Amino acid sequence: MQICVSGIGVVSSIGIGVDANVASLASQKDGMGSITLFDSTHNLPVSEVKASNRELVQILSLPERNTYSRTALLGMLAANEALKDAEIDLGKLRVGLVSATSVGGMDLTYGFYEEFAKDNSKGRLRDVVSHDCYDSTHKIAEYCGIKGFSTTISTACSSAANAVMLGARLIKHGYLDCVVVGGTDALCKFTLNGFNSLMILDSQKCRPFDNSRAGLNLGEGAGYIVLQRTDTVSRKPYCLLGGFANANDAYHQTASSAEGNGAYLAMSQALSMSGLKPSDISYINVHGTGTPNNDASEGAALRRLFGDSVPAFSSTKSYTGHTLAAAGGIEAVFSVLSIDRGMIFPNLNFTSPIEGLGLTPETSFSEGNDISAVMSNSFGFGGNNSSLIFTKKDGSLHQ
Amino acid sequence: MEKLINDLKVQLIEALNLEEITPEEIDAEAPLFGDGLGLDSIDALEIILILEKQYGLRIENPAEAKPIFYSVRTLAEYIEKNRK
Amino acid sequence: MALYINSASAYHAELDFKTLIPDANMRRRMSYVVKMGVGTAMDCIRKTSVDRIDAIITATGLGCLADSEKFLKSIQDSNEQLLNPTPFIQSTFNTIGGQVALLSKSHCYNMTYAHRFSSFESALLDAIMMAEDGEAEHILVGTADEKTPTQQKIMERLGAFRKGNTPDEGSFFFMLSRTPATECLGVIEGLYLGGQNPNGEFDIAINADKGYHTASAAAMFKGVEEVRSGAKRVLVVNGDYKIALKCM
Repeated sequence: MQICVSGIGVVSSIGIGVDANVASLASQKDGMGSITLFDSTHNLPVSEVKASNRELVQILSLPERNTYSRTALLGMLAANEALKDAEIDLGKLRVGLVSATSVGGMDLTYGFYEEFAKDNSKGRLRDVVSHDCYDSTHKIAEYCGIKGFSTTISTACSSAANAVMLGARLIKHGYLDCVVVGGTDALCKFTLNGFNSLMILDSQKCRPFDNSRAGLNLGEGAGYIVLQRTDTVSRKPYCLLGGFANANDAYHQTASSAEGNGAYLAMSQALSMSGLKPSDISYINVHGTGTPNNDASEGAALRRLFGDSVPAFSSTKSYTGHTLAAAGGIEAVFSVLSIDRGMIFPNLNFTSPIEGLGLTPETSFSEGNDISAVMSNSFGFGGNNSSLIFTKKDGSLHQ
Repeated sequence: MEKLINDLKVQLIEALNLEEITPEEIDAEAPLFGDGLGLDSIDALEIILILEKQYGLRIENPAEAKPIFYSVRTLAEYIEKNRK
Repeated sequence: MALYINSASAYHAELDFKTLIPDANMRRRMSYVVKMGVGTAMDCIRKTSVDRIDAIITATGLGCLADSEKFLKSIQDSNEQLLNPTPFIQSTFNTIGGQVALLSKSHCYNMTYAHRFSSFESALLDAIMMAEDGEAEHILVGTADEKTPTQQKIMERLGAFRKGNTPDEGSFFFMLSRTPATECLGVIEGLYLGGQNPNGEFDIAINADKGYHTASAAAMFKGVEEVRSGAKRVLVVNGDYKIALKCM
């Protein structure tokens, strides 16, 4: 059975919709800026979606009197774009949703708690009912008219990649014909302070895989792709989902092992599943957060797997920031575009390779390249490491 | 210095939730990280907070903190030397 | 396909946490729900003699509420200054799964579902597919949720307890395998989604549609006790989801 990608949808700091994102990627325009969504004593670069909640509600034509978490709004936008793109007949196919989030409705809960903490009869209940991870998934399913099985995955920064995997397996096992998969997370004060307390935020724009890198920049957004069996498509698919794997580093709660064990296992198992050799991979969209730890660890794993022949790679987090649970979804969309249009995206802000690794990412944008297989990595807290491989539909790589 | 060392032990036990250890059981010369107490990078962040909250000393770059954080004694020496 | 329940554990305060979680450094950081979940999971592993775990799949409705609240409060009380990172790290939904992987030194597949009252069913579905794929032999599946005073107050204000629903918390873990162990407790015949129904008669039906997150796992644990006590087939019902159990 072949599982293909028939639709893509994305909202990020570099644009609302696929076309806007591609335009920014091509013109090397990142989405970094100051914090505008909430008051903060911190002066840190973040990557916000350039639309207020009010504007998002209007774009979605939702009733303005209702309260929605920003996570749900971003998710609805991207998931709906993907579904429309795939031209799915919701009446004919069993369509489901696997969505990922780590923030959930914490953006609203924060405001609720400010009042509640002083007096527990205060705080607007409508601000706290969207708190859990289920809420955004439920709202997305309702908005898009998805009636089949849906669920929510929350494994920190690898969440959306894991959603892609589960979706594929649900189709393979016959529970669904078609599934919208990906993730969404909004920027919020809770997360900003969380990462700041870990001292892994850069006070400048992040520099993934650069020797001077000092941390990540937080972003927000949502990215979804539509998976379906190739014999059920209504339009020409973008590519196939060729392989995937999830493995655990089992080293530390937040840090990655120096040898990149979890990353190595995830990448090599995904390759093994796809039936490809390392040399078949044309481009890697690395996790590349820009933290000293991740990039060194991921770099070590890349060397272990690819030896002297590491393929072209880059971190698009230099554009979008680290979008947490949405990262695997947003980057899946970029990976699909890479195959479909032969695009390779640059790794912005790069000057010199990490000492001892000698890995140089791509630093300019190009399209029309011969891209037959793309690997996309997403690694999260709790040692949760995931790797996806997308392959060209009519390539000679397939049985 | 000895009072500072003892205060530090108490503060470490509280901040790091070392419930099963008493100040007397902490060897001031023994390594805090890896061996000895076996603290890790998250504990290092908590110690940075102790330095700032209790002693007004700020460590901008956690990577530079390694020699300072070697043992309770090296921590105490750093505080003695730098606090106002 | 049938999945054998080779061990089952439920949280209780007398679990020997020092032995189950031998790493003192991990133990000291754990909040109540994390200790509850990790302790129960390790107890479930301890009861079997598996030499390796092929998948660790956890579920939670609300995750680590106390840690989230602690960090939230600290941001507000100290105006974002000098915040302790520990509650933030512990508040991620997959903390329990990650720590079980660390303690059992398992590099295997590790997943966490957070889908309100059917989180456990999602985890079970994942486990069933894993088993059907043929590569995973032993799959650890479980859930943990806590009740906190804040959550209780909010639920009360939302009217969640008006119909006499009792709020609850707890942790339940099951080791599911493709082959039965000598001490096998029972069998999962199947998981039924979207209102589908299994065939045949059931001796006992347990209603898990209770409005709290550990209800279906608690019901499955009770169901396992029932099949061990002589029931031939037990059905756990949680809204549109049904879990069919049978005795060995």
